[in-house]
Amino acid sequence: MIDAETVGVLIMLIGLYGIIANEKPIKQVLSVNVLSVGLVLFFIGTGYVPNRTFPVMPANPVDPLPATLMLTTLVVDVALTALALALITDMGVDA
Amino acid sequence: MIPLLAALPLSFAFATALLLPLHRKNLAKYLFLTGAFVPWGVFLLGGEGSEIVGGWTRMGGIEVAVGVYSRWFILAELLLFSIAALYSVVYFRGKVKPFVLLLLIHTGLLGAFISRDLFNYYIYMEVVSVSTFSLVAFPGSSEAKKAAYKYLMLSMISSYFFVFAVGLLYLKTGYLNLYLMSQVVTQSKEVAAAIAIAFTSLLLKAGIFPLHSWLPDANSAAPTPVVILSGITVNVPLYGMLLLSTYLPLSVQFKAALTSIAFISMFAGVGMALLQRDAKRLLAYSTVSQMGYALIGIGTGNPLGAVYYSFAHSIIKGGLFLSVGSLSDARGSRRLDALSYRGDVLIAVSVIALSLAIGGVSPFVSALGKAEILQGLTWGRWLVYLAGVGTLAAFAKLNYWLSRGVGVRVGGVYRLLSIIPTLLVMGFGLYLYRAFQPFDAVTVGAGILTFALLRLSGLTDRGIGFELPVGRDVSINAALYALFLLLLLHVL
Repeated sequence: MIDAETVGVLIMLIGLYGIIANEKPIKQVLSVNVLSVGLVLFFIGTGYVPNRTFPVMPANPVDPLPATLMLTTLVVDVALTALALALITDMGVDA
Repeated sequence: MIPLLAALPLSFAFATALLLPLHRKNLAKYLFLTGAFVPWGVFLLGGEGSEIVGGWTRMGGIEVAVGVYSRWFILAELLLFSIAALYSVVYFRGKVKPFVLLLLIHTGLLGAFISRDLFNYYIYMEVVSVSTFSLVAFPGSSEAKKAAYKYLMLSMISSYFFVFAVGLLYLKTGYLNLYLMSQVVTQSKEVAAAIAIAFTSLLLKAGIFPLHSWLPDANSAAPTPVVILSGITVNVPLYGMLLLSTYLPLSVQFKAALTSIAFISMFAGVGMALLQRDAKRLLAYSTVSQMGYALIGIGTGNPLGAVYYSFAHSIIKGGLFLSVGSLSDARGSRRLDALSYRGDVLIAVSVIALSLAIGGVSPFVSALGKAEILQGLTWGRWLVYLAGVGTLAAFAKLNYWLSRGVGVRVGGVYRLLSIIPTLLVMGFGLYLYRAFQPFDAVTVGAGILTFALLRLSGLTDRGIGFELPVGRDVSINAALYALFLLLLLHVL
């Protein structure tokens, strides 16, 4: 079966393709979001270890660090998307 | 003590932002200046060393350090930000938001330069970038917004790929801390791929040709205090490359590829600078070329060269943007033929001195950087000299136009500040280098002669300019990024 990391990388590449193939700024911002979702999936995949349990005081946990890193990246993502959308609405017809 | 370097400006940024709802706008500049200058205390009292935030073990905590290399970056940042802070108090008089964003840039720069942990480094680099995007768009003109959008998109793509590379390294080594990573890392395809991806992203953020195209746009559209900082913001990705190259194994062919890219960037930057008719764009293309010099230091495994060179470059470029930016703000135009430093001795002296300094002429600190870079280079030394001649020719062009026409009145504070970088570059040069090379006179002469010949041939006056819709511009540059990524992955 295909694993989460590979799917994540594929989604990242789809996002990058989206930015290259679309000239409308709003679609480019959406493509960057696709890229970031792929990245998050990749990281979540790296933390997953088969047959292990959730990381709340258990004996044999999965790796919780990648998931926590992704919380930070998601925050950056939200902030940047907001800024990009604000710029696009400001640019108006110029864009 | 070391984490305070980043924590203090951050808390002052927060406090300054609070002044808006509290209706105490008049206090903003005092809080801003305190926040800008307190890290000096930490830097001067703290000394060198490494520390894990919160007192955890290295494995569980985030390491920060002031080391042999990073202290030069921190020193350059503190010097340049102090100048930019004094400048912006006058420039952004009566406003609050730019002060908050500038303090965030301060936080991000210091935080990135003390990082010894890849993810922590990424976060601080993003803090710098996000604040810079907003400040680039601050003038509100259509040009500024487009530049900010382009910078934002390209920077965002490269950031995500950088984090992806960090993830790959984490997957292979199990650590984010660079020291621990270096202990367990082995040469493997995955590690090499991660390094290639990380470098491509950092090269874009450092403004290396051909991924530089956001840099002239952003530098020409942004408000002057922000452009003064551009000399140091491009050093953040450079510091990242330095960390990667000192802690991780870079293959021989990858280093050779980096050196070749560096040479291409040096000449492409100089060539583009010679063609510009816009003063700020000329300076921005010169940054592309100068970052090439610093990249040679990385490519030849000569971190000290890269550090000295980028230390010198950040202060010189900051000073040049300050002087030229003040002139163009006063005139309301950035065109070379509209600007002049006539009748303004301070600005004239600083532009001329810094123009010589950027060519690596010897009483200035950049000569030390250049000498260090040359020391690590086994081939192509004459190329460095040739690029130096090109740089001097580009700056002969700047001085040629600035010494003609009618001068404008520039504000007193700006004029006084414009001389500080010159004194710093001179002072550090005399303190650190203490050598004078008569050969530099030949280089300067060759530079002026090159410009004279180019001017006679009419090549430098034509200018180049074509404008693309911003969306297409981003698409093309994203495609370039993808191609460059494939190229570096192919070299590994």
